[in-house]
Amino acid sequence: MNNSFPRLIDGMCATLRTEVLTRLDDEFARGQVFGVINLLNTLKARGDWSVGFLAQQVSAQCEALNQVRQLLQGVPDSPALPELRAPTPMSAQDMGALRDEHNRRIGDMLQWLSLHHAQLPPELAQAIEGHLRQSMRTEIEIELRNSPRPLFAEMSSGQEN
Amino acid sequence: MNDPLRNDGLLRERITTYLAQQTGQPVSVGELTRFAVGFSWKTYLVPVQGLHGQAGVQRLILRLGPDYGLFAPYSAMPEFLAMRSLEGSTVPVPKAYWAGDDRQHFSAPFLFSECMQGDAVVPWVPAGTPPLEEGYRRALGTQFIDALAALHCVPWQHQPIAQMAGAITVENAALRNVEFWERQIQRWAMRPYPAADWAVRWLKDHCPVAPRVAIVHGDYRTGNFLEQDGTITAILDWELVHLGDPHEDLGWASLPMYMGGSKFISRLCEPEWFYERYREKAGFQVSMESVRYYRAFSLLKLAATHMAAARCFEEGRFSDMRMPAMGSQIATCLRQLEKTIEAKP
Repeated sequence: MNNSFPRLIDGMCATLRTEVLTRLDDEFARGQVFGVINLLNTLKARGDWSVGFLAQQVSAQCEALNQVRQLLQGVPDSPALPELRAPTPMSAQDMGALRDEHNRRIGDMLQWLSLHHAQLPPELAQAIEGHLRQSMRTEIEIELRNSPRPLFAEMSSGQEN
Repeated sequence: MNDPLRNDGLLRERITTYLAQQTGQPVSVGELTRFAVGFSWKTYLVPVQGLHGQAGVQRLILRLGPDYGLFAPYSAMPEFLAMRSLEGSTVPVPKAYWAGDDRQHFSAPFLFSECMQGDAVVPWVPAGTPPLEEGYRRALGTQFIDALAALHCVPWQHQPIAQMAGAITVENAALRNVEFWERQIQRWAMRPYPAADWAVRWLKDHCPVAPRVAIVHGDYRTGNFLEQDGTITAILDWELVHLGDPHEDLGWASLPMYMGGSKFISRLCEPEWFYERYREKAGFQVSMESVRYYRAFSLLKLAATHMAAARCFEEGRFSDMRMPAMGSQIATCLRQLEKTIEAKP
């Protein structure tokens, strides 16, 4: 793909609004199209090209350039090539699993704290709870910063004001 | 396709057969119209000729709760029992005709009811939408409050809905409710939400005693009633009805999500007026601490329904494109939930 991810999403939304919705009379079907537009806007805010896909391309480049580098050893006046390492990016799925594991720990800690609150020095209990809850808040704020305005009115009515 | 839930022609045939069986007379069913409103049950307008031998076309509403739906498995009975219990009361409800949970007729629990005149006022409006016209807003607001108070005054103990009472008391109403929704979250959440767990603990630790056990609509807000020329003709969407603390409906109706960017509860009522008029009509002192409690509870419940929507779509049970859009709103609810709990009473 040569177009940017956000521009493609904008183009899809514009096409649905100007070319599809204008020719669609069924209220339920129109509501579904607004649902699709809502999700495309979410993808625009949160998505990007697959890192795994780019990593495969970069790995292939690294392999080729490293082989050329080896072949050029001892060749006079040849361009200098650094030794390259193929990237090992973490997939979004793995990152999500890590977030969930941490959230499970945060939940367990809060549960433990609620049971042992009375046995702890108040400042300590407060500080622990403060850190854990701040982490929960930050996660939610990041999610909200990356969420488009929901189109519930349009999805329910099939109409756009 | 041999599934009436996915084949409108077959559904029409099944409706024709069912109505003829129920009334003992042949009927003719016209083209079905599916409504976009509602995120859970499938709702159809059913034009019927010859119902009970009457001349002309009568319009029925058919609601189907598919096994792949948002809150499946469904039962039509709470809604049916509630509507039957409210017949003859001052709460405007459509007449409920037939309902059942067996799948033999329509492959899903079903409910046939009267089709009422009117349109829904949507709670979600784009930014910058002007407020409702003042006279219209006050007229609807008055009826909105009065119908809710009337609902909470219904002596349900001798009505069909008493079947749903179990061992509910004014003391345990809140805890039973929180435990029910905690189980739903455990069932639906696709990942851990420590903010929801934290809120559940707070709700369990702060259960209020109800002023009475009443019929609670469970989703009382703008969008779930019909109006015509400034008159509320019907309160709809009783699928979350149950017995409980009447403050629950006050908390739900006053959620910020349903204010449509205005300062009015459900786009209709100034908060002071809402609580004062409700108190007069319902006949008990509204506890603002209980309202806050149930507003927090309602946000947990709303977050849970969004979790259900996300799971329903993820599992491929339902490809309604509105489901994942709902699922993206969990964070909004959880943030508001924490703010509500932290707010000074």
